Amino acid sequence: MFRKSDLWKNRHLYLMILPAALVIFCFSYLPMPGSIIAFKDYNFSDGIWRSPWVGFDNFKFYFTSGYLWRTTKNTICINLLYIFFGTISAVTFAIMLNEVRNKFARKLYQNIMFLPYFLSMVVVAQFVELLFSDRFGLINNILSRLGFNPVDWYISPQYWRQIIAGTTIWKSVGYTVIIYLAAITSIDNELFEASALDGAKRWQEIYYIMIPMLVPTIVTLVLLEIGTIFFGNFQLIYAIVKNSHGALYETIDVIDTYVFRALRDNVNFSASSAAGLYQSVMGFIVVCGSNFLVKLYNKDYALF
Amino acid sequence: MSRKGFSLSCIIINILMILVSASTLLPFLLALVVSFSDERSVLLKGYTFTPDYLTLEAYKFVLSDKLIYNAYAVTIFVTVVGTTISVFICSMAGYAMSVQKLKHRNKFAMYFYIPMVFQVSLVPWYLVISQVFMLKNTILALILPILVSPFNLFLVRNYFKSIPASMAESAEIDGATPFTTFVKIMLPLAKPIIATITLFISLRYWNDYVLALWFVEKKEIQPVQFILFKIRSLVQYMQSNRHRGSQNIPSETVQMATLFVTIGPIILLYPFLQKYFIKGIMIGAVKG
Repeated sequence: MFRKSDLWKNRHLYLMILPAALVIFCFSYLPMPGSIIAFKDYNFSDGIWRSPWVGFDNFKFYFTSGYLWRTTKNTICINLLYIFFGTISAVTFAIMLNEVRNKFARKLYQNIMFLPYFLSMVVVAQFVELLFSDRFGLINNILSRLGFNPVDWYISPQYWRQIIAGTTIWKSVGYTVIIYLAAITSIDNELFEASALDGAKRWQEIYYIMIPMLVPTIVTLVLLEIGTIFFGNFQLIYAIVKNSHGALYETIDVIDTYVFRALRDNVNFSASSAAGLYQSVMGFIVVCGSNFLVKLYNKDYALF
Repeated sequence: MSRKGFSLSCIIINILMILVSASTLLPFLLALVVSFSDERSVLLKGYTFTPDYLTLEAYKFVLSDKLIYNAYAVTIFVTVVGTTISVFICSMAGYAMSVQKLKHRNKFAMYFYIPMVFQVSLVPWYLVISQVFMLKNTILALILPILVSPFNLFLVRNYFKSIPASMAESAEIDGATPFTTFVKIMLPLAKPIIATITLFISLRYWNDYVLALWFVEKKEIQPVQFILFKIRSLVQYMQSNRHRGSQNIPSETVQMATLFVTIGPIILLYPFLQKYFIKGIMIGAVKG
């Protein structure tokens, strides 16, 4: 009976899936039941399973301490800034690149724009410091040379949501430009030829043909980005703040950095695990919602 | 369209693109200049493109300490071993899941989808890695947690789906096991997608510092990105290694020199590899 089953007949193929499945099991599934730690008063000696239950007390702390509101607001604000301005700049640059007639120049611009994508966030954070450092930064240098007062960037949280979003765009715009450029080149050339016959100017072609034809790609990419709106750019933000610029957390403490700090600096398992579970659940809801919309809009791009 | 209007807008677009490119390159150039500056002129004038004079001091300082060589060895080991294993098991699983006759292949697809959608929260993830698998302060902590990315796995599966099944079937009639078919026939056919995921996975390993941040305290197994992350405090440590006293620590310029030491290979390889990355993004964008 068993020897005739699909599992036995195709055992080689199933064995080929096994290593990947095993790794995913160890690092994604095995921790999942551990999420109940968010409802427990965790201590090392009792471990996850025997630590006492405390219901929603951990969430109460996360909620009443004001951190829930602060981290949620920061995460979403930074992501929205990034999505909005990132999309606008990627589409604009792609259209502009497409208009560059000289092939060599076009490749050169594109490759330069793509270069930051390859840097680690630690390097990017150091670039940010080169520009914004209070004492040595290029911007303060220029400001004081022009006769303005230098700004103490690293103790002025009000600027940093924009700086984080801007830096993320600087790093990733080359990547998105490639996707939009591919979408532009796949537009049927006959449309442009027909409009040229009708006497349309180039900007009219861009406005009335190219941009409408790009809308499906734009909508899809934006929806996919909205799907991860509850996840902050931990790698960048933590590399910028490290342990020395805590003043900035007021505006750029995202859920990820909060979870990390609660666990690492204060060994506060309860707050950390509550925030982490909150993020997983909200992330799950949002990604399902956005995927549902992608599916309605364009089946081919749906994640699942 | 009039020729004159065309060339005018052409000039404007080129100027704008040059501005964009320049602002992309600006931090690279500034970092490069600072890394060759002498510490005193940085302390006096800040980060500028016009230091008082140029010197190799910072690079000498970085390259004379064994810390950076050791970190480099760690990063190269993690990148090579991690990428090799990751590419192998991802493409193997991706291929198996693309085979039509496999009854439960969609169940496996679901199994790999779920972690993409429900990202496990960090605390239990940390506890499992550190307490269950005891990976703290081992080099495996830098490799295993990101070994399998479901996204890459699906990229491979979708690519294999586009290859006619008859290729594999005819080989299996000749008595080859699915594994030999995969290695000898399917893998060579999938070269473009394999190249793509190899590049993306190795970039991921090369640039990661967070795994070291979570799990590694031992100096011997810290990768270069983590060294760069900690460079300010490390400069003091490196200085004290040399019994030169603690004054005159060249931390500003050393920071930038270390930065260039870590991104050097990427900048050198970039001209040769960028076109493969671009192709890879196109493949991923078609169905991602």
